[in-house]
Parts: sequence; structure tokens; C-alpha cells
Amino acid sequence: MEFSELIRTGQAQAELLRGPEMPPLRGTLCVTGHHLLLSPGPQATPDLWLLLLRSVDSIEKRVAGDAGTITLRCKDLRVLQLDIEGVEATLDIARSIEALSSLESVITSFPFFYRPKGLRLGEAWHFHPPERYYKRVARETRAWRLSEANEDFSLCPSYPRAVIVPRAVDDDALALSARFRHGGRFPVLSYYHAPSGTVLLRSSQPLTGPQKRRCADDEELLRAVLAGARPGARGFIVDTRSAQAAKQARMTGGGTEAKAAYPGWKRLHRPLERGRPLQESFVRLVEACGDPEQSMDRWLSRLDGCRWLSHVKEALSTACLAAQGMEWEGACILVHGAEGTDSTLLVTSLAQLILDPLSRTMAGFQELIEREWIQAGHPFQLRCAHSAFSHTRPKHEAPIFLLFLDCVWQLGRQFPLSLEFGEGMLLALFDHSYASPFGTFLCNSEKERCLCEVRTRTHSLWSGLNQPKEQRKLRNPLYVPNPLAIWPSVEPQSLRLWQGLFLRWTHPPEPSEVAWEKVWQIATDQEKTEGSQPTDSASEPQP
Amino acid sequence: MEFAELIKTPRVDNVVLHRPFYPAVEGTLCLTGHHLILSSRQDNTEELWLLHSNIDAIDKRFVGPLGTIIIKCKDFRIIQLDIPGMEECLNIASSIEALSTLDSITLMYPFFYRPMFEVIEDGWHSFLPEQEFELYSSATSEWRLSYVNKEFAVCPSYPPIVIVPKAMDDEALRKVATFRHGGRFPVLSYYHKKNGMVIMRSGQPLTGTNGRRCKEDEKLINATLRAGKRGYIIDTRPLNVAQQARAKGGGFEQEAHYPQWRRIHKSIERYHILQESLIKLVEACNDQTHNMDRWLSRLEASNWLTHIKEILTTACLAAQCLDREGASILIHGTEGTDSTLQVTSLAQIILEPRSRTIRGFEALIEREWLQAGHPFQQRCAQSAYCNSKQKWESPVFLLFLDCVWQILRQFPCSFEFNENLLIMLFEHAYASQFGTFLGNNESERYFSALEQILQVFG
Repeated sequence: MEFSELIRTGQAQAELLRGPEMPPLRGTLCVTGHHLLLSPGPQATPDLWLLLLRSVDSIEKRVAGDAGTITLRCKDLRVLQLDIEGVEATLDIARSIEALSSLESVITSFPFFYRPKGLRLGEAWHFHPPERYYKRVARETRAWRLSEANEDFSLCPSYPRAVIVPRAVDDDALALSARFRHGGRFPVLSYYHAPSGTVLLRSSQPLTGPQKRRCADDEELLRAVLAGARPGARGFIVDTRSAQAAKQARMTGGGTEAKAAYPGWKRLHRPLERGRPLQESFVRLVEACGDPEQSMDRWLSRLDGCRWLSHVKEALSTACLAAQGMEWEGACILVHGAEGTDSTLLVTSLAQLILDPLSRTMAGFQELIEREWIQAGHPFQLRCAHSAFSHTRPKHEAPIFLLFLDCVWQLGRQFPLSLEFGEGMLLALFDHSYASPFGTFLCNSEKERCLCEVRTRTHSLWSGLNQPKEQRKLRNPLYVPNPLAIWPSVEPQSLRLWQGLFLRWTHPPEPSEVAWEKVWQIATDQEKTEGSQPTDSASEPQP
Repeated sequence: MEFAELIKTPRVDNVVLHRPFYPAVEGTLCLTGHHLILSSRQDNTEELWLLHSNIDAIDKRFVGPLGTIIIKCKDFRIIQLDIPGMEECLNIASSIEALSTLDSITLMYPFFYRPMFEVIEDGWHSFLPEQEFELYSSATSEWRLSYVNKEFAVCPSYPPIVIVPKAMDDEALRKVATFRHGGRFPVLSYYHKKNGMVIMRSGQPLTGTNGRRCKEDEKLINATLRAGKRGYIIDTRPLNVAQQARAKGGGFEQEAHYPQWRRIHKSIERYHILQESLIKLVEACNDQTHNMDRWLSRLEASNWLTHIKEILTTACLAAQCLDREGASILIHGTEGTDSTLQVTSLAQIILEPRSRTIRGFEALIEREWLQAGHPFQQRCAQSAYCNSKQKWESPVFLLFLDCVWQILRQFPCSFEFNENLLIMLFEHAYASQFGTFLGNNESERYFSALEQILQVFG
């Protein structure tokens, strides 16, 4: 399939309106295989405006007389309007955009063609392999080992090649446990909490089914976890489904861990929203944010009705519960839902941010996302296929990763000195998870990424974000390393709407940009006066 | 009357104090004429030093021999005192009730306060109208200072000196005062240097059911118009409310008599509606049930943010008329002492950078709230917790401060002060050791001989 087949009109004259806060652009509009380009002059110049076609969520066209208008609603919640000269040009361009923005194939997507200056292929992909995290665990305890039983992804297609499991459990036992878990996702180590010697594990639901099946190896695995932790340690299973939903899951082959089969482990239910209801919540919130004419009552009742902030509260509460279990009770925690790829990862990653100061550094946060979301098999391709503006019938889309970023933002707001990264980092992650020239968020699992050779043929988002020129936007100038756990308040009064994301395109950016610059200035000035060394090399005695 | 008569038990030992953000502490409780003091004698400081005038409501409870007094303050703090002994507890409670409901201004603490800091500046004379007028008189010769009200005889709620158009003499002003509610004839609030347009404020015209008119009033406000240009009258009441006001002797400016002025009606709430809104908001903020839906729906039901939006929208409208349309405006509601002042002061924050400096902001409050006659004593007699019958209480000034905070949040680099100044002003408006917010207008302050007391801004 050639891109050129899908492009009907090469060029047209157009005016781009980018919203109330930016001046309109006028020039020649051009559709390429991956981008929409607007060039102010006949040649390509540095002033070229371009849009990755993948970031288009929905498109509307109108024609009147001799001209047409195309309204593009993007996945990053921007709304753009193109006024195009010529009715036929308008219709052709609209059709081309529609076709090109919904291509499903991974290997023809833009990351496989993106070759920016200054970045070398292969860089940054090897920053965060699972071996690296294992080295950190192995320094603290001998109770765990790195297993490569999933080397060819035959045990679990959504896990990475190497996982951390109890030393006492061998690979054959893992294989049997994998058959007993939904999608083969047997319990693996997510995080080792050194201060209390306890661990956080994640998995998917056990396939007990209506016959109440058991699996000796799965039970042995969890017994070994408790044995390897502190003597007498208890375990809590945090099930992110309601008790009723978990029970009903038995009818379709799933279920919960039976109490008698897993002595020492107590089950708690903390229902978290996922899937279709979460996507609807997102859609309704974005709708409410996009309405400038509404009354205060309507705004507040729509904010209430979409329930997005309730989801944020529930996610943070559950993460606090898991973190408290480890830090205060000295217990081991196993988190799972049904498939173990959505709310499970939300809870484990947030719990680590609460407890582990390293995950709050820039490098540690990137590693956390690599480990707990990307390699752990969160199906990004499916979940981020469409955003809040899409007209197509939703299939597997759900903004769980966005919910995670929102929760991190709440943490950053309550603890403004404790995260090394700022809001700019979270916004960048949101944007790139839906549409990106980088390959980091492509595919649904490590297996798929290996098949498509993502790591050798595309650039990693981390190499893009870690360039020096990006740091001012992404880092938090107020950061001070904080060795303690940070416990967020989950009172409804403490949680706010993430205006920087949901109202990003309706508010003029200048006042906050100016303020951000000022904070950076004050912070760097202070560093200079504090860290200034009174040496003058000219006055050093010459040898 | 001696304070000592009202204090039944001046001192109790072994009282436990519970306050927000600190662990409970035990100490000796002392009651003076103006303060409630608790000290644990651990450091050289007291853990509690509360003005009686800061107390909104008290609840008492008894569990066995231990009495508990829960004090709800006007600044929204909730403090609990565990007092051993039922009789002591009852005595303390009734003493506090008596001392916190004193009416006479001259018994209030500012008359007794001697500050521990060095007084560098006499704040009472920092922001006099003559000084403010000097800032304009260089730019325009169309305005003058009038001393017609120097005995407070023409308008009891205005200051002794006001700024009026040069074309109007004092006799004409007296006539206009009889045509406006409370004698509040139109005066200059703000002069916009960029184009020479002005904001004026007043009370409602007393047109009544007969359609009375006053030629001097028309002449006064027409004097601010340029040849061939129109002005805007912003009435902070909805049209039907303004029409109903005629039955009680009030009304609005008729088009026939004011042909060059276009009237716009807004709907800013007032009085007990705002007070109820505040009560519901504070209840919602204190709600510990942990439920997001409940919080958001209670926030919505309080309507507080709706009031903020309406006030800010009106202020933006006023500022746009001045700056974009290049037209003068007259603002009034019914009495011209509440929503009028919210709009005029916020419009100046929007338009004039000087109001966003610390001194400029202080001058703005002095001019547009204190001297302009906002009845602080009445409006801030009770706050969100009071359960006694309300008369004239209304969080009008707090709404203004909240609106300033909203603007501050949207333009974080444009203000010389931060949220702390706004919070401090809120606290002092309700209960203060300083005399700035005492009384209801300049007249009351003058006759209470307040010059002896030090200003907040000094």
C-alpha cells in the first residue's frame, strides 16, 4: 500500500485557525503520508507548521460556495479549523486526512520514518531493561531471582522477556501458574520496599471458574513470597473489582483467590473504573470543558456528573491503601483486577511514587513508566487509539494512562518540592501516548514490539525528552530530594481539576509561561549564590 | 461598665486545647476583657490568643464532669476547649457569649491596643482623598474636590471630601443628594488616564412611582460625557428588581431624561442570599464524609462561585466600557454600598496597574470601601458559623477578596502582593486589634474619635 494512493489532492491554499489565543496562519496546505503541512511561502521554510495525522481524533467538513472548512479535533484536545479555497480541494483533503489518520498498521507509522537530527537510533532503548531494576532488588535481598522463562513470550504474551519471581520457585512452576492466570499473567514482583522488607506484586485474576479450580504452583508462589519477606509477614490481595464483579467473573472462567488455598493472604476489594465507563467519563469531561458559555451551575453539575474526579480519588485511595499496607503494616501486597493490564498497573505505579523517592526523580519516573506500564504490557495501542473527540464506536479505548498522569499531577500539586519533573513532563507523556513520532508507546506488549522491531527501527521518547533543550519545560525547578514517603490527601476538597491539561487550549498560555520562567530564574539564581565557589583559577599558584 | 462584671471566672487550670494542625495541649485558660488566652507555659508563647470579637458561635457539651466548649471563629477556625468542672465551663461559656456580643464601638479592643512594633507611618493619614486627587489633577482639569459634605450633613455615608465635576457647584450637589438613595450623589471613583473616561458611583435615583426627575442630577452625570458620545449606566440589579424598587420610592434612570446614557442591568446578589451562600460553602468545606459527588454537589448548591462569576463579569463589562469603548460609566445598585463597590474596585484592579501594587491596593480599599462607606460593622458582625438571627450581615468584602484572588491566580506575575495579604484583610475585616474596619462609614469613625487608634496599614 502506498501512501500516495490515499492522498488525493497534493496542495491547496488555506488559512489555519488555532483557537482564540493564537494568530491565524495562512499559506499552502499540503497532505503527506504522515503529516499535514502549512507553509507560509511556496517553499518549505523554518516557519512550517505541521501536524502528525495520527493525532487527529475526528474531522468535520463543511462547504459553502467556493470554499470549505475542515474542523480537526485532535487527540491532545486541541481544536483546529482550516478554511480552504476550493470545494473539491476541501473534500479531497478531508478524505485523505480521514484515511491516513486511521491507519492501523504499526510498521508503516511515522516513528519508523522519523529521523531527527542529533539523535542516534538505538540510544536510550537500553536505559531501562528489567535486569537493571533486578540489580536494585538483589542488593537488598536474596529472596528473589530474575527468570527468563518468558524469553520467547510463550508463557505470557503480554509480559516482558524477564520477570522477577521468588527464588524458591522454578521455571516449571511458573509455567503452571501462568496457565492458571488470565492471559498468562502470573504474579511477579513490581516493587521491593526496602525499609520494611515487603513487596508489591501484580498479576491478573486466577482462572478459578465455576468449578473453583486450584493450582498448587500458584499457591506455592504466593506462599514463597510471604516466606521470603519478614518472618510472620501477612499478605493483602487488593482486587480492583467490586466483590460482586469478582464473583460474577467466576461464571466466565475467572474468579478470586480462595481464602483456604492462600493462607496468610487476606483479600480486599477496591473497585476502580475501567474500560468503556472510563472513556465516557473522559468524553463528558472534555465536553464540559469545551463549553465557554455555560453557567456556573451547569459547569459544576457536569463536572460532578462526569465523575472523573471520583475516579482520581478512588485511584489515589487504592494506591495509598497498598502503600500503607507495605509501609505501616509490613505486609506484602498483590494487586490484580481482571486482566491485570489497566487498573492493576495504575495502583502499582502510584504506590511506588508514594513510597519510593527514586521513582520521583526524572530518570526514576521514566524507568517507572517503562517498567510498570510499557514493559508490563499495558495495551497502549488499543487504549490510546482514540481520545475524547472521536466519533467512531469505541472498542478498547480507555484513558487509564491519563488517569495515572492526573493522579501524579495531584501528587505534584500537594508536594510541590518532591517531584523532579513538572507538569510539562506529564503533558508531554499524555500527548505522546496518543500520537507520537517516537516509538515508545507503539504496540501493546513487548512481544509485539519485538516482532515489529520497534527498538531498533524507531527512536525512544526518552532520548527525545532528555535532550538539554527540553529540560526547562519538563523539570521542576523547585525539586528537593525527599527521602520520605509522600502521603496525598484524598479528601474531595483537596483534589482539583487538572486545568493545565483539560483547559490547556482555552486559557491563554502567557501568564503561566511567564510565571514558570520566573520560578526557574529565581531557582537558578539561588543555586548560583548558594553554590558559588570562591576560586579564581588565575590566582592559583603556577606549578 | 466594667469588663470585670462580665467575667465570671477569669482563670481555669488544666484546660486542654484542640486546634487545627497542632496536637492537643494542656494549659491555663485566662479570660480578659478582650481576649481568650491559653498558655501551657512550655515556651514563652501562648498557644491561643483569641479576640472575643473573632468568635462567631459557641457550643457547649458535657460528658460527666468534663465540659467541652467548641468555639467557631469568624475566620472559619474551629477550636475546642476541654474544661474540667461543669461550673467553670458554664461560667466561661456565658462570659464569652457576653464579651463577644458587645455592641458599642468604643468598647472594642482597638481602643485599648498598644502595639509592640514601631509605628513608622500613621496609616490614618496615608491615603487621604486630597492625595489621591493630586494623581488625577495633573491629567485633567474637569474635576474638583468638594467639601460640601464636611459635616456629613449632605450624605452621612460619604467621606467629608469627594471628587465631582468642576461644572457642578455645592448647591447643585445638595439638590442631587436629595434625589439619590442615602444622599449618595454620583462622585468620581476612577479616572482612566489613557482616554480621560471615568467611573462614577452613586445610590439609586429616587424616581418613585411618579417618575420624579432632577435636572441637577442629569447635569452632573452629563458633565462627564464628551460631545456626541454616550455613557453607560450599569445597574447591578436585574430590570424587574429595579422596576419594583419604584414602589418603595427608588427606581432607575429613565431613558427620556437621560437620553445619552445606555442602561445595562446585571444581577449581583446581596444581603442574606450571600450570607447563606457563605454558610453553605463553609459547611461543604468542613464536610468529612470523603465523597467526591457530595462535595461537588454541595459546592454547586452553595452558589458561591456563581456570585464570583457574576461580579467578575460585571467588573469586566465596566472595564471594557472604559477601555475598549472609550465611554464613561455610572455604577449603582440600590444603596450603592455593596455590589457597587465590588464592581468599581475590581474594575480598577483590571485597568490600573497601580492597584496591583501593595500601596496601590491599600489605597484602593481605603478609597473604594472604607471612605466610600461600605458598612463593615453591619456586614461583618457575623461570619459563616453564627446561628443567631441575621440582620445586615453579608460577605460582600470577602467576595471582593475572592474575586481579586481569582484574578491573581490567572495572572500570577501581575500583582505585587500574594494570597496572604488577601487572607489577612479578610481576617481583620471581621475581628482586629486595629481600628481600620470599625464602624460603618467615615462619619461613625470620626465621631468615635478613632484617630487615636492605629491603622492596619500603618
